Amino acid sequence: MPSDATTVFRLHPSINFARVGTSEDYYLSPETSAGLPTPGAGDTVGGLPIKKGTEDEPITSDDLRDDDGHLRRQAARYRIFAYDFESPDHYPSGAGVEICVGSTLADGRVVKDVVWTVHLANKKANAYNVVPSAGLQAYDGKVPQLRNPSAYGDVNAPNRLRQLVIDPGPRAIASGRGGVVSFDVKTPASYSNRSGGISEQLEYPKSFPQDSNTRLFEPSGPLDTLGELTTDHAGRLLVLPGRGRTAAQYDEYGDPIPCTGDLNNTGWFDDAADGPVSATILFEDGTTEEAFGAWVICGDPAYAPQIRNVVTVWDDVYDAWVRNLGLQPEIYRDAKFDEDYRPSFAGDIHPIFRAASMQRWTANLPDLAVRAHEAVDAISAGDDPDATIMTGLAYVRNPNVQAELSVGVPLMPLSLGEAGTDFLAVSKTQYFFLEQWNRNHFDPDGDMRLGPGEYLDMASLSNCLGGRYVPGIEVSYPVREPDMYQTDWKTSGAGPVRVKHKPLRYDAAEPGTPFLSGGWIPLHDMTDGLEPGDMTKFMSIPWQTDYNSCSIHQASINTSGENTATGNPLTLYWSWPSQRPDAVYPATEVVGGVLPERVWSIRGPGTLTDDPKTAATFQKALQSVTQWDRIGVVLQGTAITGDDYPPAFFLEAESLLPTEGQSVNVVAEWPFNANPSPHRGWGKGSSIPR
Amino acid sequence: MKLRDDEWDRGHLQSHLQAAAELEAWTIPYYMAAMFSIVDRSSDAYQLIQSVVHQEMLHLQLVANVANSYDYSPVLGPDAFQYVGNKIPHLDFALDPDNPTKLFSPYSAEIGPLDEQRINGMCLVEYPEWDTGGKPDFRDDVTEYGSIGEFYDAVEYGARLLAADVVGGRRQVDMFSEFYRNLPRMTVESSGAGAFAELALLIDIVRDQGEAAKAADAIAVPFRNTADDSYPDLSHYDKFCQIREQALHRRLPKTYSVKDPSEYTPDDDKRLRILRENFARFTAAVGNLFAGRNPDDFAPLMVTIGGNILACWKSHVTPKFT
Repeated sequence: MPSDATTVFRLHPSINFARVGTSEDYYLSPETSAGLPTPGAGDTVGGLPIKKGTEDEPITSDDLRDDDGHLRRQAARYRIFAYDFESPDHYPSGAGVEICVGSTLADGRVVKDVVWTVHLANKKANAYNVVPSAGLQAYDGKVPQLRNPSAYGDVNAPNRLRQLVIDPGPRAIASGRGGVVSFDVKTPASYSNRSGGISEQLEYPKSFPQDSNTRLFEPSGPLDTLGELTTDHAGRLLVLPGRGRTAAQYDEYGDPIPCTGDLNNTGWFDDAADGPVSATILFEDGTTEEAFGAWVICGDPAYAPQIRNVVTVWDDVYDAWVRNLGLQPEIYRDAKFDEDYRPSFAGDIHPIFRAASMQRWTANLPDLAVRAHEAVDAISAGDDPDATIMTGLAYVRNPNVQAELSVGVPLMPLSLGEAGTDFLAVSKTQYFFLEQWNRNHFDPDGDMRLGPGEYLDMASLSNCLGGRYVPGIEVSYPVREPDMYQTDWKTSGAGPVRVKHKPLRYDAAEPGTPFLSGGWIPLHDMTDGLEPGDMTKFMSIPWQTDYNSCSIHQASINTSGENTATGNPLTLYWSWPSQRPDAVYPATEVVGGVLPERVWSIRGPGTLTDDPKTAATFQKALQSVTQWDRIGVVLQGTAITGDDYPPAFFLEAESLLPTEGQSVNVVAEWPFNANPSPHRGWGKGSSIPR
Repeated sequence: MKLRDDEWDRGHLQSHLQAAAELEAWTIPYYMAAMFSIVDRSSDAYQLIQSVVHQEMLHLQLVANVANSYDYSPVLGPDAFQYVGNKIPHLDFALDPDNPTKLFSPYSAEIGPLDEQRINGMCLVEYPEWDTGGKPDFRDDVTEYGSIGEFYDAVEYGARLLAADVVGGRRQVDMFSEFYRNLPRMTVESSGAGAFAELALLIDIVRDQGEAAKAADAIAVPFRNTADDSYPDLSHYDKFCQIREQALHRRLPKTYSVKDPSEYTPDDDKRLRILRENFARFTAAVGNLFAGRNPDDFAPLMVTIGGNILACWKSHVTPKFT
């Protein structure tokens, strides 16, 4: 280590995702990047979660459900990496060495134990409404309307915080002791004392919906926990989410308050959550070090973990860091991209092409589009861009041209855009990389230059939905805001893409006084960090209604119903096809390596409709909060047991919904419209099911 | 030379359908080049031309389906894609009583950016038929028609005379029916004289959407695009007249500038070569498609040609297809 370097410790992934399931059992968060080749994995591409109890063995379809058919949860796994840090830092460092209990550092110190502290909370019911037509701009100098406005006061009013915030307090767990620590009502709040021990805070003012409601409608069981902590065989932290439960208040007539929409349901709670993750490292010599912390988000299941989004959360976060936080000055400085920069084909270009080609497995693309996308995926690093199907970027929507956000066919991606816009565009950094490639100014041989921890950061975020934050499903538009991050990354040793933790004095907690506040919001110069619950509060409540709804829409869904897109206003487009599969091929119906007809991923009793725009959804919101766990998961053929499926196939497995019968809506090839003509209904040779 | 009904035979019908395929195909590079020359892809001009390009591809498919129902598969060779001077294939505007070249002047049949000459040429191709009020004349020379409307009238009349020869389901291609959900069918599935309604529908689509629409008519509702056309009720002629209005008021959208061929770099020459090679492969793929061979490379090539054209324009090079 250089004389002026110091050792710093960082948790990775800096942002990771736990995913709800109805089973007590679980598997681990993926540590590879969706859809991309993975060294040593043969034909199996990245994005697959990892089997419990293993370092990196990918799950198969047999692992999706437990013996009782319950959907397994996904635990978010965290590792500690040691870095030789010298200010100013740079990215990517390509460095970092994982440490666990028993590891010996370069300076001779031996890790004796690690005390992990996590604080999960759910602030959704006390948050502001999602505004589909405004998105982030709804916070520009103002705030949207509060959810649950009948609870008196502003976002920081103690009565609102007590009634509407689910806050079990922090929990700590030691690698050396292991066990399971629950974020439930009974388990005492606890946290690292920064000396290698765990302090309990018996006075912590926990709040659960039951505290303020004598009776709740809880269709899947009591919402009395936000999850658990445990450790893996190496003492790494595992954060387990809740069970996907919801709760609703009763109205004055004694009826459960109905879900009246997709995003902002009054009187409802869910058990999604998020919060800071920290680690105190205790050495054999009795000294301790604090690692730079991470963040955990507990959200929806990954229904298509290997299907890559064309714009991932990583693409958005990376773009924000490149253009706003000086992540890589060789790419962007002085408010412009450097045209001398050569992006890596493998790391920067191919993922976009790969994602485009994978959409066919979760969306009802017509055959012509499938074949064109296959040609996109076939582009290799050695190809002359001028000789490929992507030459000229003739079909890529330019994010720098606002008017193109309203141009549909043939510009790609042909899925819906973010708040206030019709169609999705790649990030500006992605587009810059594509432009560089298009002018043959790229690195055909360069590989990922990331260190192992940096790779985990990228991989974790690349497995999530970016771009279409209305509000999204794991995270929303604030992930692009510099204010939410530790911006002094070059000098502090924190490294990039690290959510800034608001300092919390647990020893000062008082019974009866809400510990958490309304918390951080964007565009209000709030730079003191995020509290637990400050990321998922921007998501819909409950998440299931939004997941259900976000299948296929007219473009005007984003613009308050006023059509501003080219083409027929009734034409339907996909919302989040990679994250929320629409049309899928059931593995059980593949015969002799030949694909069957597509079916909607959400189908069966309760899904019948005569309007194609709701064909892939539960028709009743309540059904979405009770049957979300019956939906199947799209996996690569190599990960599906029961037959010898081709590795090129990505098929639906382990669905508990029927594939045939009168209750199954027929899948029409795109393009198709809302309110179909009586002459032609749903597609060739099909009729509207009754 | 005019033909009597009893002189009209399969050979005449096939030569007319071959000519129809060639004219439909000829328009595609001509229109695509003009479209991709426009910098602003959200502009009305871009969107209008794009919708016409898509329908020209549809028309080519429909003509091929009609031809295949008579056991003839159109072939598209390099000769079908000549863009020289004022020569628009198979049409002699001087035969039109109004001779529209007087109105749409100057015009050019050469590949070029969207400008006054191109938009006039585009209007001429789509110029509506004049109402003859009677049975269309047959010509033994397909270049002796004054408008594409008159030409298709002759095709339809002649097809009816030979309807007994129709065999349904033969090498029929359907790539676009999802874009026209108000239409019952875009292929000929029945055989014999009873198939004529199906066959006539395909010709009607071609005529109504563009080439033969009466100037004042909107496209019939069943023939309107239901997916990606912002102006589905307008004929090609009306769409191009809208753009021409912009030209007359000097409001045409900005196009990529063009440099003299003497200034072309080796990269420019390479892009032109790639375009020519891909276009040759594309026309072969089209031939294979309409010969019933369902080639894998048709869709990728169709998409790639557009990219090749744009890559040329972005380099300030005028595309060349043959």
